[in-house]
Amino acid sequence: MNRENKRIILILIALCICFTGLIGYMSYFQVFRAEKIKANSYNKRLWINEERILRGSIMDRNGNVLVYSEERDGAIQRFYKYGNLYSHIIGYSHREYGKSGLELIYNNALLNINENSAIDEIINIVAPTTVGNNIELTIDHGTQERARNLLQGRKGAIVAMNPKTGEIYAMVSMPDFNVNRLRDDWGTISEDVNSPLLNRATQGLYTPGSVFKVITAAAVLNTPGVETNYNCEGSTTIDGYSFSDYQNTAHGNLDLNQALIKSCNTYFTTKAVVVGEDKLRKTAEGFMFNSNIPFDLPVKNSTYPKGNLETTELAASGIGQGKVLTTPLNMVLTASAIANNGEIVKPILVKNVVSTNGKIIKSNRTETLSVAVDSLKASAIKEMMIGVVQTGTGSNASIRNVQVAGKTGTAENPSGKSHAWFIGFAPANDPKIAISVVLEEEGSTGGRSAAPIARDLIIYGLNNIKF
Amino acid sequence: MFNKKVSINSPRNLLFLFEILSLFLLLVSQWNNIEKTIYYIWIGLILIIYISNYLLNKISSGDNYIFLIVTMLMSIGIIMIYRIDPNLGMKQLLWLSGGIAVFYLTYFAIKLIRGWDRWITLYIGASYFLFIMTFLLGTRKYGAINWINIGGISFQPAEITKILVIFIIASYYNKPDVFKKYRYSDYILMGIIYSFIALLFLQRDLGTALIFYGIFLFVQFIYEEKRKLILYNIGLSSIGAILGYVLFDHVKIRIQTWIDPWSFIDNKGYQITQSLFAIAEGGFFGTGLGLGHPEFIPLAYTDFIFSAICEEMGIFTGIGIIMLFLILVYRGFKIALNQNNKFYKILAIGVSLLFGIQSIIILGGVLKLLPLTGITLPFVSYGGSSILSSFIALGILQVSSEDINYEGEEVVE
Repeated sequence: MNRENKRIILILIALCICFTGLIGYMSYFQVFRAEKIKANSYNKRLWINEERILRGSIMDRNGNVLVYSEERDGAIQRFYKYGNLYSHIIGYSHREYGKSGLELIYNNALLNINENSAIDEIINIVAPTTVGNNIELTIDHGTQERARNLLQGRKGAIVAMNPKTGEIYAMVSMPDFNVNRLRDDWGTISEDVNSPLLNRATQGLYTPGSVFKVITAAAVLNTPGVETNYNCEGSTTIDGYSFSDYQNTAHGNLDLNQALIKSCNTYFTTKAVVVGEDKLRKTAEGFMFNSNIPFDLPVKNSTYPKGNLETTELAASGIGQGKVLTTPLNMVLTASAIANNGEIVKPILVKNVVSTNGKIIKSNRTETLSVAVDSLKASAIKEMMIGVVQTGTGSNASIRNVQVAGKTGTAENPSGKSHAWFIGFAPANDPKIAISVVLEEEGSTGGRSAAPIARDLIIYGLNNIKF
Repeated sequence: MFNKKVSINSPRNLLFLFEILSLFLLLVSQWNNIEKTIYYIWIGLILIIYISNYLLNKISSGDNYIFLIVTMLMSIGIIMIYRIDPNLGMKQLLWLSGGIAVFYLTYFAIKLIRGWDRWITLYIGASYFLFIMTFLLGTRKYGAINWINIGGISFQPAEITKILVIFIIASYYNKPDVFKKYRYSDYILMGIIYSFIALLFLQRDLGTALIFYGIFLFVQFIYEEKRKLILYNIGLSSIGAILGYVLFDHVKIRIQTWIDPWSFIDNKGYQITQSLFAIAEGGFFGTGLGLGHPEFIPLAYTDFIFSAICEEMGIFTGIGIIMLFLILVYRGFKIALNQNNKFYKILAIGVSLLFGIQSIIILGGVLKLLPLTGITLPFVSYGGSSILSSFIALGILQVSSEDINYEGEEVVE
């Protein structure tokens, strides 16, 4: 073959490489990149349905409309009646900034579009829907408003729920943002070091501190033959590392009951080591640690360290320090478990999805997720938690005429300022509301700052919620 | 083993089937606004395509597949254009019929008229004339001044210049010795081509400039005896590219939006991001004809037709189109390898390069693999001048695929 033809073939090969390169890139694009690109909010295809379908309203448990859509000046507009109050629960549906919260997760329900089967697609083409479905929440608007007021100016989260049914009455995370001012505030919101976009109630991972002692207490009860009496000297040394009590107070002779009431650190560190790593971890996992809590909003998993722990780390885990991390949602479930005879029910935020003609399309029912402890031990722990509020660290949560059960926590963390915790429920004999309060980097004890907030909200809730 | 008749008939029949099926789909999706006349025109086109393929088999002793490939490409294109805008689809039907006529016209003209290799001065003169016309009469369309409007019909002179450039290069390298007698003839050729490229830069028609450059560089690579000229060419063009980037804002914008279109999604990056949305939305099998949203893609019927096709027919169809171009280019080069007449050999290379480079530039562009330059996808995009010039080029390739028994007469001093 002559030189010319060889060169012609060289160029042909080069062109072939270009063409196959195009095919390769296109396949790569489709497999690895397409999903992310499609989700860009500038993709008008995402909004095509929005222009012809009246997006459904969102209501609280009493039928108060919180968010609705209306046609004004020929265009469908979304109206958020409460700019900040539901910024983490309902979220937003915004042309430029996309969707979040229930607006994102229940998007198809709100637009009444079903993308599941080919038949549904054909129905959508032949008879397109023009009105979306409404959503009924389990939230009590008044309680939600009160919870936000109680947290005003602080960082943290409050979750209140029915321990028996799982219905969430209030869920507040602070700082929050105004969904009606996204365009003006987006720069500040998205760059704020306090991350107002984060829903702390479900996605904030906090060191639980002493509220975890409820779980350690359950582990002690679950382990036969553990000596429950202990003499507290104000500090103890485990494996060369010293654990001390709040202000080094020596509590003297204690049983489990007194230890929880006084939130004795030396007691629970020592008992955690006695109970052993396996037992404590399994008990924590019964309380939904290291597992996914099914919920209508995205939830971060609480973590309890796995693998061979150093003895000191095991001891620290016993008082909710070390590598133990949890969400406020998980802690309200922990309180609920004690209130509900040891059973953890699935938390519910969306009660019903209702079509415009009033037909219930989908509803969330109460489901048991886990049996954390048996009912006998649950009622034993309940008695201890009543004691915490009556005579112990949680006395600021006590209410006249209503028996409150609870546990405080003051969690040390890398910021240097402790988180203040309170978890509890009331009335103790027939629990109607369970609550978890965390004040992030509050620098104060749970009993001093978190317990009064819980108290206020429980009073409001018991008086106003239609159970 | 394979009977030639069978092997050419079966793809022709498959193409026929494809057209009938997709016509049916179009009828269903456009049911509400169908005019009666459209049936006749569609059926007319399908018959024209079928008959031309059949006739070509009888007339031409050369490659019978290239026309078949092209009719497949244009069938996909016209279906998409008609789906986007029935009025444009109707016009495109006429252009395609005209294109096929021009293909036969070119075929016979190139075959019957002798001496195509001797008119280099005419080609150069005609090219400059077209450029001058463009600047005098040109109107700006989509940011480029490359359209002229005569008697209500607007066309792109650069589409014709493409063909002329191939003829200029082929005439020169056919008999380089004749020209080498004049001093610096090789530099003069390079100067002429560069002047075209510079003029295209001024018209902001970067895509076409790139095509000219590509054709020239590759043919030079194959035939130029003085190898250092190729290096000069590459060096000069690199300097030119950098200068173009520094001097012209419109070049800068292309590069910026290629590197990161997402930052300019509202304005400069709008076109390319809309194209990516469409391709991503289509997935492997597409949304189905009539179920996507090509109306969101700017210029979906011309430059971005590939994105619209990918959205509704899936990237499998997109890959199909790329493979059709690959086969077309492959057959073009095969024709060149088998052609003994040097002039026609270079013509075949030039035309194959034209199809290859043009399709790679625009396909890479809409995929954001290359900077976006506004050119058409040959045979698929809407556009009279593009369709006509592509069919002229195809006609030339068809002639080149046959045995050429005569030698061009020696140029006598």
